[in-house]
Amino acid sequence: MSKLKQTYNSFYAKFFLFDDRFVLMTAGAVVGIFAGLAAVALRLSLATVLEFLAPYRQYAWAFILPGIGALFSFLFLDKVMREGAGHGVPEVIYAVSRRGGLLRFRSTFSRLISSFLTIASGGSAGPEAPVVMSGSAIGSNIAKFLGLNDRQRMTLVGCGTAGAIASIFHAPVAGLIFSIEIILGEWKFVNIIPIAIAAVAGAQVCEAIIPTKELFQPPPFSIFTGDILGSIGLALFTAVISVIFTRTLRKVGGLAKRTPVSPWLRAMIGGCAVGSIGIFMPMVLGEGYHPIMEMVGGTFPMAFWLIFIGIFLKIFVTAITLGWGGSGGIFAPCLLIGSLSGVVFYKAMMFIFPNAAVTSEGAYALLGMAGIMSGVMQAPLSSIFLIAEITGGYEAILLLLLVSSISSTLSHIIEPASFYFKDLIERGEFMRPGTDARILSDLSLNEIIDTNYTAVSENMVFREFINIIRNSDRNHYPVISDETGDYLGLVRVSNIRKYALDPAFYDMIFLNQIMDTDMVTASVDDNLHDVLEFMETFNIDHIPVVDHHRFSGMISKARILDLYRRELIMQTNIQ
Amino acid sequence: MNYKLLHIFRNTPFGRETFLQSLYFCKKINAHPVVYIPKTDKFLMYFSNDVVQVNLDNSFLAFPDTAHEHVIALFDEAGIPPRFYEPKDFTASTLPDISSQFDYMCSPRSISDRSSKIGLGLLGPKVRRMIKQATFPILIASPVFKAWKSISVFFGGSSNAMNALVLGLKIAIASGFPLKIYTVLEKDSEEVYRDMVRGSELEELVDQYVNEWCFYESSGFDRMLYEVPHDSLIVLGAYGHGVIKEILLGSKMEYIQSTVTNNLLVTGPNCRISLK
Repeated sequence: MSKLKQTYNSFYAKFFLFDDRFVLMTAGAVVGIFAGLAAVALRLSLATVLEFLAPYRQYAWAFILPGIGALFSFLFLDKVMREGAGHGVPEVIYAVSRRGGLLRFRSTFSRLISSFLTIASGGSAGPEAPVVMSGSAIGSNIAKFLGLNDRQRMTLVGCGTAGAIASIFHAPVAGLIFSIEIILGEWKFVNIIPIAIAAVAGAQVCEAIIPTKELFQPPPFSIFTGDILGSIGLALFTAVISVIFTRTLRKVGGLAKRTPVSPWLRAMIGGCAVGSIGIFMPMVLGEGYHPIMEMVGGTFPMAFWLIFIGIFLKIFVTAITLGWGGSGGIFAPCLLIGSLSGVVFYKAMMFIFPNAAVTSEGAYALLGMAGIMSGVMQAPLSSIFLIAEITGGYEAILLLLLVSSISSTLSHIIEPASFYFKDLIERGEFMRPGTDARILSDLSLNEIIDTNYTAVSENMVFREFINIIRNSDRNHYPVISDETGDYLGLVRVSNIRKYALDPAFYDMIFLNQIMDTDMVTASVDDNLHDVLEFMETFNIDHIPVVDHHRFSGMISKARILDLYRRELIMQTNIQ
Repeated sequence: MNYKLLHIFRNTPFGRETFLQSLYFCKKINAHPVVYIPKTDKFLMYFSNDVVQVNLDNSFLAFPDTAHEHVIALFDEAGIPPRFYEPKDFTASTLPDISSQFDYMCSPRSISDRSSKIGLGLLGPKVRRMIKQATFPILIASPVFKAWKSISVFFGGSSNAMNALVLGLKIAIASGFPLKIYTVLEKDSEEVYRDMVRGSELEELVDQYVNEWCFYESSGFDRMLYEVPHDSLIVLGAYGHGVIKEILLGSKMEYIQSTVTNNLLVTGPNCRISLK
């Protein structure tokens, strides 16, 4: 047994520890495969149940189906899995941003099941955010199993995301870009290779199980000069719709929190409301891939006004589904709203300029998808490559670039934070790699605090104190209460010169008479960014850290700068 | 000393008894209890390589209007200034992140997925998981307040047990209470265990603070538990096994805590104890 262990250790040291890229590449492939399997499982189970329930949706009582689905989804998540609310992607971004990519093991399957219940019953949500959460949690837990460090763990979280997106859309490049653009936020060689491998592994798993390559297959189309102007117009339209979508999602979610109804009943009411709308307009139910296929293929039968109303109904039902207790993502709803917007815009354009030389309705549906995704997620590259890949062609790449860049820029001007980041930014928890806040948050407080300080008693006579400073090189001395051990104040050597130079004071004064009690203090729970702001505001170089009234140590500006430099060098040296 | 103990307060008579244990523990070792009054029935603790979600039962959310007032009254009774913990970060709106920068934590027994079995003395997977990941020792208080007057270290010779011995010495130094070591001889002789202590540079402290070192034959485990004084704080190391290992192999930790009524102080494999 011990020989086997020795052989394993020697192999591990020679192969993996030779260069951690091997570890990440191998683990990335494994993560990609598992994330791909999770995505395929959700996709196939959704297709099966949606097909099974399709004949029943024509009945009036079917409005209750999404209500039941949302109820079970909520109960599963809240009572069985005991997971917090939310659709998952911000939680993954938070984990990467603040917690070194740590995710709970239960997240590998909890969102998959709860989203399955919501979407399969007819709730308007997408399966992509749950698979992103699942894939990321798989990556995080594999990293945990292998005992990898924070940086490697974050890369594997990115691998999970890439594998999941690549698998569910059969779009490896989009998976890679989404993972880097949205989740990790940094383009680094050390990340790109394992994530690319994971994306390929995820896509291959999907292809092995579901041989059809592209999710949507548009007919071939040609691009004309008139399409440039058409694309600009469409970008403006989709930017506005994106902002409406983002704001409605947040408003309806906020309204749900203020509604004095128990959460499970709220989920049921929301689901039934979605089901009621779905009776009159079934295309707004579920993830909406089927109507998208029709629109991309140019065979969508609905009239202009119905499609126009459909955009807002889809926005509304998605907001109700996700805000009132259902589970799922906004990716697929974005695609449907985008394709509806594209078709509406095309029809309006054709009505005003009937003889305009422009490409087909299907192409505008594609451009609309890119426009809405770019506007809502403010991630133009992900949108461009996703649309190009899921339709199997790059014919419209120039127009995709145009629509995505204009739409994301405009929506960024109106709504500075994307849907994924907004909550985190409001809570001050969104930190991208390489930024000051992130580097400071990566520094451990224990590294910063200098605990090597001699505490002095409040009732100490000054003469005794003089003896202490004579044998010490410190300039600050925390004063502690004799009775409770609490921190009372600080004696700064620079402030006591007049007493020190006059021996008459030596036996006259006690430290509680000369200590500085007004000095601002920091707590161990404060982040370093706040501590630095304290220092700037009060123009001080040292700050005592007082944790629950106890003196914990001192933080000095010089030490922060020193460790900041070290951390910056370490982070930027990683190739 | 500047140690802090995290206590999750439950505003019920049972919760009060547990809090009294924390207060007593802190007074004896000159630490400070910091109370967290939960507003949600779950919270997260991020450790270096894992994130542990603690699921509380509903009794932790009972009578929120009087919780704060009851805590202050108990603090006053103990003569300790009240300290509260307010989480700043949230993974999701219902999942506060609780700092893992504490020196001790009091684990109410019902931090468990299987709260129906708490009466039977089961620890539950959550406590085990916390023990496994925590960098601080976890106090498992007896069901009713019970002042301890001595310290008993269960020393089995593993690295965890060595950690427990260091912790026991630390508590003995701080509290001034007598310390006894209890060892069940598995395969080795008494001398092997004594050599382990000699090899760990603890010999001087052990000579100074340990009153007695009791050895038992491997079949004498139950007798050892019976002979540990009822008013002694038991300090022991635990591994935090997974569920499968637990079912297959059983757990001494589980057995001890369901057999004795003493307060337990448990060190896990990631626990860092320093005598400084």
